[in-house]
Amino acid sequence: MSVAEAYRILYGGALILFSVLIGAMLIRSVKGPRITDRILSVNMIGTMVICCIAVLSQLLKENYLVDVALIYTMISFLSVLVLACVYIPGKPKRTGFGKSAFSDAGEKEEREK
Amino acid sequence: MTEWIRFFFVAAFLITGLFGFVTGVIGVYRFGFVMNRMHAGGIGDTFGLFFIILALIIGSGMNMDSLKLFLAVVFMWFTSPASTHFLSQIEYFTNPHLYDHVERKETDGTDSDL
Repeated sequence: MSVAEAYRILYGGALILFSVLIGAMLIRSVKGPRITDRILSVNMIGTMVICCIAVLSQLLKENYLVDVALIYTMISFLSVLVLACVYIPGKPKRTGFGKSAFSDAGEKEEREK
Repeated sequence: MTEWIRFFFVAAFLITGLFGFVTGVIGVYRFGFVMNRMHAGGIGDTFGLFFIILALIIGSGMNMDSLKLFLAVVFMWFTSPASTHFLSQIEYFTNPHLYDHVERKETDGTDSDL
């Protein structure tokens, strides 16, 4: 068995295991009882897809796939950030406990008005 | 012979990274609350990604692709704690039954330490 064949078997096995894990996280994102479970599953799927693209770039000897992995890292962070901007309110309804930076900013704006 | 030694290191680091991802997925399934699940997900984000990229860097040698893969790891190590922080903020602001799962510290109402 040559070295190239051994590398192909290793990278192929890693990709098969990654596809199984991505399927498991996809089931978790469908089952997840709350929105944060789903966002966490999508975040982990993004990380595994980055690894898949990086392994694939070595398996196929295609250099441009490394750039795709680098851009995918940024976009996968951006998806979590955009969803956080949607779901975190400017001023929380909960009062009395855990005043965050958001609630302080909101109160200051109200005082200025 | 040196190629086989390199292959051994690539296989060892790749299997270590896959072990990190399998641990993360099992933890996401086994833990009961989302803030515990974030901990399990962070293992895959940092440990698993680092070892898989390290295996690929060893496999490809020192060239421009290795630098790009290393930059992906650096970016992920900076952004993964931030995304976990945002996730916990979403959970804090949207879950009305948060204190069924999280132990609440008794305070005198001033909230000076938060």
